[in-house]
Amino acid sequence: MSPHSPGTDQIDTLLLIGFIAAALVVVAVNAALFATVRRNRRSRGAQPRQDRGGPGVQFRVGAALTVFAALVFVLGVVFTDKAREAPSGGEAGLASAKADPLKIEATGQQWLWRYDYANGAFSYYKLVIPVDTAIELDLISTDVVHTWDVPDLAGKLDAVPGKVHELVFRADDEGTFEGDSATLSGQSYAAMRTEVEVVSPEAYEEFVETQADEIDTAQERVVGLIENGEVP
Amino acid sequence: MSGPRPELVVDGFPKRGRPRWIELATSADHKDLGRILITGGLGFLFVALVELLLMRLQLAIPENSFLTPVAFNRMLSMYGGTAVFYFAIPLVLGLFYYVGPLQVGARGTALPRLGQVGVALWVAGATVLYAGFLFTPSEAGVNPLAPLTELAFLSNNGVDAWATSTGLATLGFVFVAIDLLTTIRNMRAPGMAWRRVPVFAWAAAVGSWLILFVGPVLLAALTMLMIDRNYDGIFFADGSGGAPLLWQHLSWIFFSGAYMLILIFAFAAIAEIVAAFAAKPLYDRGVVMGSLAAVAVIGTLAWMQNMMTAPIGVGWMYFAMLMSLALIVPFGLIVFNLIATMTGGALRMRAPLLFAIGAIGAISVGLAAELEQSLVAAAWQLKNTTDATAATHFALVGGAVFGGFAALHYWFPKMTGRTMGESLARISFWTMSVGLLVAFVPLFLAGSEQGQVVDAYKFFDHTGVNAYNLIATIGAFVLGAGIVMTLVNAILSRENGAEAGHDPWGGDSLEWFALSPPEPHNFDVLPDVRSDRPMRDVRDAIAHRTRSAERPARQSQPVA
Repeated sequence: MSPHSPGTDQIDTLLLIGFIAAALVVVAVNAALFATVRRNRRSRGAQPRQDRGGPGVQFRVGAALTVFAALVFVLGVVFTDKAREAPSGGEAGLASAKADPLKIEATGQQWLWRYDYANGAFSYYKLVIPVDTAIELDLISTDVVHTWDVPDLAGKLDAVPGKVHELVFRADDEGTFEGDSATLSGQSYAAMRTEVEVVSPEAYEEFVETQADEIDTAQERVVGLIENGEVP
Repeated sequence: MSGPRPELVVDGFPKRGRPRWIELATSADHKDLGRILITGGLGFLFVALVELLLMRLQLAIPENSFLTPVAFNRMLSMYGGTAVFYFAIPLVLGLFYYVGPLQVGARGTALPRLGQVGVALWVAGATVLYAGFLFTPSEAGVNPLAPLTELAFLSNNGVDAWATSTGLATLGFVFVAIDLLTTIRNMRAPGMAWRRVPVFAWAAAVGSWLILFVGPVLLAALTMLMIDRNYDGIFFADGSGGAPLLWQHLSWIFFSGAYMLILIFAFAAIAEIVAAFAAKPLYDRGVVMGSLAAVAVIGTLAWMQNMMTAPIGVGWMYFAMLMSLALIVPFGLIVFNLIATMTGGALRMRAPLLFAIGAIGAISVGLAAELEQSLVAAAWQLKNTTDATAATHFALVGGAVFGGFAALHYWFPKMTGRTMGESLARISFWTMSVGLLVAFVPLFLAGSEQGQVVDAYKFFDHTGVNAYNLIATIGAFVLGAGIVMTLVNAILSRENGAEAGHDPWGGDSLEWFALSPPEPHNFDVLPDVRSDRPMRDVRDAIAHRTRSAERPARQSQPVA
């Protein structure tokens, strides 16, 4: 994973903090364990000391652990809040989406992602978005729970039937980012992948217009074929 | 350490003329029922292992076609159900059920027939699951999330078989928990106040309370699921007032409770073993007992840690994170007290202690990784990746397999009268340790670096996880080989192990006062319990009287 959005930058920092805290725990426990076992073997002639702890030492250890947990909690809240901050559109972004984020609807369905753009165009599998623009992805599902997961651009979120789950993010760099679904959704779950293509605002507008036109053309052709009796 | 046995014995207890298996199948004795749960649990450990290895084979190379997608999902569902409901919980509960009443000096349990019904329900549940396996198993995964489980999406009977099976097993666990809790509350030996109850028996009481709280929650959810599927219910269906998220809340409450149950069991068993093998009292019993109870409460309250990507308010996620991080305090205190117990002890590095130390190490890695995943925004990246799989497996293989094997090696002499082979145990331990690391450390990396998702029947060549998965598959086979060694060791040692006597380890609690294996009524007589180390008191008294007896003027008298 390499972050390409303000949200994932914050998540990346929090992941590092979490990793350090976890590494501290693992090293502290296992080093203490190893040293204690090494030092107190009966084969080295140790004699058991029948001592028990007083309340003082337990209180001190408990207090230290509480401080550690509280510190990690505070850092967790701070960086989660930063990661949740709705990004604003940048200079290079889509001009019409400066004030409000650009809304795109993402529908999870067994086993494909469908994206509906504001002008009526839609696309399957591949989402095209403008760079440096705040995007509001409205995640919905028509069947079971799916999880939209493009790790380079945003944290993963669930699309649950009957709910709209908003995911706001901004892609800082142009490029193609791969993603997948992260909740078991049936047979072809592993193949239910997706791809986000981040392009310049001009390329984005051209894409949605062409896409809408092509969909209209295809629609008219199908209607024509049926009306002319060429397709039963 | 078999000195003179300080108790009166009724020799030649009248044997009834029925075959052993009929005796076992009709027995309401907690020891027989516990042995059914333990033996069955270890058997299902092997089955779960085979299922895991088949899945790992499929995931050894990218875009493999060894298992079809449907076969993989079925294997996954069977693995989850087997590992949780037919290996881990029954092994834990079986050891609690066998050892707990002995430790508190009870001559039986309070409600033996209820326990018998409970174990019978568990056997029935296992039968349903594997009868279902023969025609159509569930395809819905380890925790099958609604609405995938609704009839519209999975119309064959697999989900029904899964729900019936886990429902029967859970009801059985609840019944056993009622019997166990009643026994430990009401049938303790004279003098055994709560502050003198052995840590493992205390954990049995805490674990039983936990099952009494979370078991019915799952039973309610399963009932709703069955109504949805078979009687046009709408509990988890979207629209018409149903709520898919309701299933997630109810099921995760149960699974979080089960997770904590396994860790409570593991740490309590480790505490007994560490104290016995260091020949010391536990550094601070009160703190350990309090921490075990705190883990049960706080850990279960952290159920929404599993729902960090679901559409619930972020406030709830912070609550879940707070509860998860609060667990640092009780777990930290337990580990501190275990290490403090070893400090200044005379450690005998026998198999139970080896597995116990391995369990602490493995659990520490798993829980530390869970710590990272409880940070809300970090969970948005790590949830449902193989990083989470690795964390869960470190904690639960550490708790149920390493911890379970530690307990098995420790109490095996009590159950069979023979110790398990030491050298095979050592080889098994080191093989398992290497296997655990090789199998799951690569999955940590695949999940946190590349975001490889869980439960998928294949992964793709270009995602950069090929090497991780191949190494993980090799590690899983090494881990499996280690586990099989201990299972073989147990089978061989049942008949051929070295004879152990009633107290092979010099334990401090009352189960070592009984015969190995104990008579059906557990004890002929019981010593007065005057401290939290009654067996040490007995040994001291014997030593004292033996010394006194050496002086000619004094007559030795029987202890009791």
